[in-house]
Amino acid sequence: MTSLRKDGRDGRPPFGRVLVANRGEIAVRIIRACRELGIESVAVHSDIDANATHAQMADRAELIGPASPAASYLDIAAILDAARRSGAEAVHPGYGFLSEDVRFARAVEDAGLVFIGPPPATLEALGNKLAARHVAVGVGVPVVPGRSVALAADLGLEAASALLAEVGTPAMLKAAAGGGGRGMRRIDDAGELPDALAAASREALSAFGDGTIYVERFISPARHVEVQLLGDRHGGLVALGERDCSVQRRHQKLVEESPSPAVDPETRAAMLASAMRMARSVDFHNAATVEFLLDGSGHHYFLEMNTRLQVEHGVTELVSGLDLVAWQIRVAAGERLPQAVLQAQPRGHAIEVRLYAEDPWQDFRPVAGDVTAWRMPEGPGVRVDTGITGPASLPSQYDPLLAKLLVWAEDRPRAIARLRRALDETAIGGVQTDHGFLRWLVDDEAFASGAYDTGLIVDRWSPGPALDAGIARLAAAAAGAGRLSAKTGGARTAPGVTPGGADGGREWARQARREAVNR
Amino acid sequence: MSDYEYVVDGDPVDAATSAVAWLDRATGLAWIASSAGRSLAVVEGSGDSWWVTIGGRRISVTVRTWRERVLAEAEVAAAASGGAIDVTATLPGLVVVVAVATGDTVVAGQSLLTVEAMKMQNEVRAPRDGRVGTVAVAPGTAVATGALLLRLEEAGEAGPG
Repeated sequence: MTSLRKDGRDGRPPFGRVLVANRGEIAVRIIRACRELGIESVAVHSDIDANATHAQMADRAELIGPASPAASYLDIAAILDAARRSGAEAVHPGYGFLSEDVRFARAVEDAGLVFIGPPPATLEALGNKLAARHVAVGVGVPVVPGRSVALAADLGLEAASALLAEVGTPAMLKAAAGGGGRGMRRIDDAGELPDALAAASREALSAFGDGTIYVERFISPARHVEVQLLGDRHGGLVALGERDCSVQRRHQKLVEESPSPAVDPETRAAMLASAMRMARSVDFHNAATVEFLLDGSGHHYFLEMNTRLQVEHGVTELVSGLDLVAWQIRVAAGERLPQAVLQAQPRGHAIEVRLYAEDPWQDFRPVAGDVTAWRMPEGPGVRVDTGITGPASLPSQYDPLLAKLLVWAEDRPRAIARLRRALDETAIGGVQTDHGFLRWLVDDEAFASGAYDTGLIVDRWSPGPALDAGIARLAAAAAGAGRLSAKTGGARTAPGVTPGGADGGREWARQARREAVNR
Repeated sequence: MSDYEYVVDGDPVDAATSAVAWLDRATGLAWIASSAGRSLAVVEGSGDSWWVTIGGRRISVTVRTWRERVLAEAEVAAAASGGAIDVTATLPGLVVVVAVATGDTVVAGQSLLTVEAMKMQNEVRAPRDGRVGTVAVAPGTAVATGALLLRLEEAGEAGPG
């Protein structure tokens, strides 16, 4: 076991070398934190990620297998081999992949390395939503009305009717091992329950290897609000305010903000106290998030506790001024959270939007392809977390998240204005993204007023507005300029342009993209 | 060349009276100036087929001359019909090359003949796989719009000779 230093006052880095068991923007984020702490970073990568940003940036890069996640980023033995080869002392799992896999956390510790996350026993106790629901009930944290037991797979119609009479309709089936919206089904009538249960169970079994399903009442309208926790190994624990994640499609988040426009000081105090009670009920240190549903009357209900860094952690970093990833690493090495962290007060307003390679006009369906042009916003109060730095192929094996765009300002109206400005400075070519949806959102009345709920996309966006006549005419003008430029530029070589083959320079944009991708 | 026709997302439109204030030919990034201010866009494509991403929305734009439209429409119409099809002149002109003879098997896209029109050499291509039936023209034949050039039969059909 690596010696755990009591604090960082000796000026030495918390660890000499940390392996980052992830890819994409979160791997880049962790590598940056390592560099600022004076820690050498070790990236792991699949063969198609050999030239990915995270593999380029890290001090060392270790190949762990082929493109398929199961054979690389989910391969515990391959990652531990890489850790041994590189001499890493600790492993940061990021989010997704193995971040909540108790077998991975145990294997890391069994190898004599430090797992940068909560203790394996805590991952185990809270990783199962049904078990976590029991924990919440045990410490008096409100849970969504429902049944805290697994449903029998062969539930008959009579039993289904009795169950729904007790829980209330509409109801929601949920996978105990669930996440990412899979294994969830809304039930409006007892007749739907047997079939929906079978389908949800199949989906959960295939996605998580566990088909256990339970049922809760479907709360609507509702907001999805979560509390960020940070704890050290010495009992120091702080709840760093909330994030509102109510803009969702397929039960997955697209936009997060802090503070929540729906949370008043009393509700906030109650939610933070609930989150602290959850953390105190288990052996907890490092970072975690407690997720709640908030109903129209300001009552909060425990949903789940994620014992890892969240995608949207940057929102809390902007309002708290803290580097959560750096603190994860420091508390993993045994440092105490100082008073400045334990007493941190949020300031201003932060919003994050997620840029995904998916088509919001086609039900947010993921799209594959090559990013040909890539321009991210800059300037005051703007932060971009991404693993993409220019033209790139998007591997279909991995998550379609391209970038997280975050803004901070003194208050919510200014943050929205800044977000609008930043989105207008953003341009992505080659694939459809949700950029157009996000640009629509910042002008949406419900979003601007703050009075929105998890139904916003279904109620106000789908299937997406028709093409505005003015935009269509601008697009025509732009394409006409493109054709003219290709024609007039065909015989000349301008800076940054490679003349094409038999077709002269006419294919200028595509050709330039190919050059860049193949570089 | 101001007489392009534009089809945006499937519908014909007039181009806005706007100017491209700046366009980076390497990436396709462009600032479009209009009465509504400046908008950042990505312009990609070649020939008559373009994509413009503006306001985060990726929009298909066809940019073509009148001549290209007529040719494209004729190809679509021909490909849509089954059985024997008549390949006709879409523009008035002079046949300069006949590349195939009766009985030849051809594949979709193969050049059949060339008609010179509006000082341009326009290749007429097979709209689908088939076998060449009657050839109605020879090099030097002047043709009017709609004149029969040749007949394309299904590959299995017996030709008339």
